[in-house]
Amino acid sequence: MGEINGHAILFLFFGILTCLFSLAVVFSSNVVRMAFYLILALAATSGLHFLAGADFVGAMQLVLYVGGTLVLLVFGVMLTAQNPFISLRTAGGDWVVAAMVGGILLVILIPVAFQVGLPPTEASQLGGRADREAVTSTDPVSVPTATRIGLGLLGVPGDDVSGYLLPFEIISIHLLVVLVGAAYLARAKRRVTVRDTPGTADV
Amino acid sequence: MESILSNLLLIAWLLPLASFCVILFFGPRLGAAGRGAAYVATGAIGGGFVLSLISLLTWIGTHGVSGGHHPDAAEASHVSLSNHVPQDVFHFAAESKDSHSHDDTHHGHGHGHSSGPKDAYFGDWYTLVDFGRLKITIGYYVDALTVLMFTMVTLIASCIHFYAMGYMHEELHDVTDHEVTLSNGEHLHRKGRYYRFFQYLSLFCFSMLGIVIAGNIAMTFVFWELVGICSYFLIGFYIERKSASTAANKAFIVNRVGDFGMIIGLMALWGSLGTFSFGGEKNAAGEIIKPGIFAQARAAEDDYALKTPAGMLKRAEEMGAEDPEHIGHLLLIVAGLGIFCGCVGKSAQFPLHVWLPDAMEGPTPVSALVHSATMVAAGVFLVGRFYPMFTPEVLLTIAIIGCITLFMAATIAITATDIKRVLAYSTLSQLGYMMFALGVGGWVAGMLHLITHAFFKSLLFMCSGSVIHAVHTNEMTEMGGLRRKMPITAYTMLVGCLAIMGAGVPTIVGLSGYYSKDAILAQALHFGKNNATWDVMFYVAAAGAAVTAFYMFRLWFLTFIGEPRDPHRYDHAHESPRVMWMPLVVLAFFAIFVAMPADIENFTDPTASPMVQLLEQARPDGTGLDFSGQLAAITMPAEHGSHAEEIHLAAGMIAFGTAMFGLLLASCLYWWRILNPEEVRSMFAPIYRFLRNKWWFDELYETIFIRPTIFCGRCVAQFDQRGIDWMINGLASCTRTFTSGFDRWIDKIFVDGFVNWVAARTFAIGIWLRKPQTGRLRQYVVFIVIGTMAMYIVATFGLTN
Amino acid sequence: MTEILTSPVGLTHYLVVGAVMFVSGVVCMATKRNALGVLMGIELVLNGANLNFVAFGSNFLERNPTYQLGLDGQIISLFVIVLAAAEAAVALAIVLNFYNNHLTVDVDRADELRG
Repeated sequence: MGEINGHAILFLFFGILTCLFSLAVVFSSNVVRMAFYLILALAATSGLHFLAGADFVGAMQLVLYVGGTLVLLVFGVMLTAQNPFISLRTAGGDWVVAAMVGGILLVILIPVAFQVGLPPTEASQLGGRADREAVTSTDPVSVPTATRIGLGLLGVPGDDVSGYLLPFEIISIHLLVVLVGAAYLARAKRRVTVRDTPGTADV
Repeated sequence: MESILSNLLLIAWLLPLASFCVILFFGPRLGAAGRGAAYVATGAIGGGFVLSLISLLTWIGTHGVSGGHHPDAAEASHVSLSNHVPQDVFHFAAESKDSHSHDDTHHGHGHGHSSGPKDAYFGDWYTLVDFGRLKITIGYYVDALTVLMFTMVTLIASCIHFYAMGYMHEELHDVTDHEVTLSNGEHLHRKGRYYRFFQYLSLFCFSMLGIVIAGNIAMTFVFWELVGICSYFLIGFYIERKSASTAANKAFIVNRVGDFGMIIGLMALWGSLGTFSFGGEKNAAGEIIKPGIFAQARAAEDDYALKTPAGMLKRAEEMGAEDPEHIGHLLLIVAGLGIFCGCVGKSAQFPLHVWLPDAMEGPTPVSALVHSATMVAAGVFLVGRFYPMFTPEVLLTIAIIGCITLFMAATIAITATDIKRVLAYSTLSQLGYMMFALGVGGWVAGMLHLITHAFFKSLLFMCSGSVIHAVHTNEMTEMGGLRRKMPITAYTMLVGCLAIMGAGVPTIVGLSGYYSKDAILAQALHFGKNNATWDVMFYVAAAGAAVTAFYMFRLWFLTFIGEPRDPHRYDHAHESPRVMWMPLVVLAFFAIFVAMPADIENFTDPTASPMVQLLEQARPDGTGLDFSGQLAAITMPAEHGSHAEEIHLAAGMIAFGTAMFGLLLASCLYWWRILNPEEVRSMFAPIYRFLRNKWWFDELYETIFIRPTIFCGRCVAQFDQRGIDWMINGLASCTRTFTSGFDRWIDKIFVDGFVNWVAARTFAIGIWLRKPQTGRLRQYVVFIVIGTMAMYIVATFGLTN
Repeated sequence: MTEILTSPVGLTHYLVVGAVMFVSGVVCMATKRNALGVLMGIELVLNGANLNFVAFGSNFLERNPTYQLGLDGQIISLFVIVLAAAEAAVALAIVLNFYNNHLTVDVDRADELRG
């Protein structure tokens, strides 16, 4: 069909990584390893972001997710990673149910992905092609998106972005409230004596 | 002038209504035990009296006190002040315009009158109903009679309010009624009803004044019924007493009989004349758009001669009568007789007189105000007001009824021993005199007697109340010699007795009753001379005068003279408090002077009295002339004819003679004791029994009306119980048996079944829905995913096609 | 098979990767008994969705131009990232609290709300 597309190769690389590490998260039973695989999966996702031209989002993915959220998660893992909890076995029935549900979901999603994502075929081949060329011809490869995103967040609508000042403010307040709430919930307090229920007796 | 008078009278009329409302809502809270209610009611009626007095003065100021319409009459006011002015009203009158034309003959007054229409103001305040031809309004018809009646009613009512403050004081605290025995043998103990008494009195005053001021016959009827209900309340004031409640019912039911006739009269009037108004209906500009009933019967262009109204002729033609003139005349007679029927009931004339003596069960102030002076006189007043509509045939009926009543009641009064019953029968008799006077053409005589009688009869009743208050019994056989214990009551009562008997020096001067009774007898004689067939009525009336004198002095002698027949009661007797004897003195004053001529020069002329002159002003148009009947061969002589020297002198002498005879007879029997009453009684035993049993009227009615009615009622009740009840009960039990089974089945299967099914389903669904609620997080995730997928599938495959 | 290497990268590629991530997250949430594992599943689900947003907003991908979000897609994915961070913080706090109270991170023990 032609020479090998570098873009496609990079995409395959990152896409396969993402899928593999995601599945690894699912199938690993050790919580510490799960956290590690998750970090890798999310980092690979940021690569996909870069490939899609979303340089700022990709950077944020790395900084916020990989550098922030997951560090938080790892701290949680370490705080609770006592022996009995490192790997909690799940019953086989649960696995079967989850696999069936996940499989059916995948079976639904993949055709939708093809239905939605493919360019128009045969009937509108010409228009689609023209569109694609138009898209690619006007493709501002080197234009970084950070400035436009920043303007958009400050409420300045651009060519292909709306004004987002109000959601931005709301989300900032939201973040503040959430952090205060998290600090409150997680604060150290006197441990409540556990009632001697049958459920906890054999743990 | 018209607005001043109508507004004054309107306020005077509405004041008692305001008082009634105040006492109705705040009665028990007015002062201690409702004592303030008496002040409210008395203040209202006193205010009404003042306003009425002002309106009377206003009237006199405009019209003078001369009977006719003499344009030159006012110039003749050169008479010096009279010392015998009976009332300051007349004082004013005598001073400003004592306007007799002294060279007048007696005929002059009547003749002058027929020359022009009398002065009357009429109009409407408020329209109650106005649809189609029917228009019922709250209106007024003000003439000299209205103003006089207002003053008289409010004056007497004020006196009686004052009197009742003293008389009813027992009601201020809890009362033990010794005449009521409960089932457990104790006497009834109840709360005092002082305020309620005054509440009823105020309502009564309002209603009575409403009759007087009424501008149309429908309004009259409304207030007619209102005084009826007030009378019912007041007779039944001691409702716990069997006799009182029975008497109240009797009064109410007997009045219904009369009112039924009155409604027939109203229908005849409205159906043929299309209006109820006395004077006529006015439009906004004050022009008369529809002539009143008087103007339709006596049109001005016919010189006020009574003719069958055009409306009645038209109605007769519509009914297909061959002789519309005759049928129309009959319609007029029906209307007149119907109205008179109501008056018979209210004024307790034969044959509906039976309720009035029993009405004496009410408190004595009520007897004085309602059942002697005002309400029962309302019937006479209405006859007087309605006078232009009465044909000679109707008038003859009125005269006959009045004549029977006056004689019958007077004879019954001879044997009665209950002091109030004597007065009640006396009232009947005097009302009969009034009706009789009106019936024989003596309009002024009848109205004059209405006013004088109101004063002396309320005086007599209040005196009797004072006596009863002192000795706590109604029986004259337990009294005697009370003159020494209660002199004021005794002598004011003597004044009343003299007034009712018509005492006076013939042709010179007398008490109020002297003038009115002489006028009645003179007119009766005049009538007898014109209609020889009916001259017996004059002799009956004269005999009635003798009987009147006899029973009144029998009463007085039995009560106040001689030795006490019951020493215990005599010892406890005492003069009444001042609040009670002051009104007696006031009323005694009026009983003496109210009909007396006001100026010295013309003192012996009874028609010179200001009262007579004022009444002459109110004489209905056209009734001052002779007129004769169509059906019966009678001539209704003009009243001024009775003032002729020979007739008046003869009547006066006969009246004086009969009265003296009665007085002497009473003195012989009860004072000097020349004759023994017991012997006389046994000598005339059958007559005594006849009179003692009140002519067996109650027994007669019992046999004729009550027994058959009860028999019919029993028959119907039997049929009701045996026939209708049986059928209905059978039907009911059938239905019940059927439905109870069917109903239970339906109920169990369908209603209960449905409800139970819904409940069971709800419970089952709840249990079923409870299962997914495992509380397990991971299962919820699965559920969420399944739900999302389901939604997607539905959205994709379910909705797109 | 080589076609995948030679043809330009399209929207479909991204959506498939996003779907895989999403399903992985869901299965993760459905199977992990450790509360932190469930949290990780949530992160995966969010990232899968995020990837779709970015893909829809991208100009560099072969696609039907009807589905063109433009820069809005990137901004929305930014908001998602921020919300995910906030959610992670709160959820972690809750997990720690739960651990403090129950001495376990097993979500199957947290069934006090069962019907």
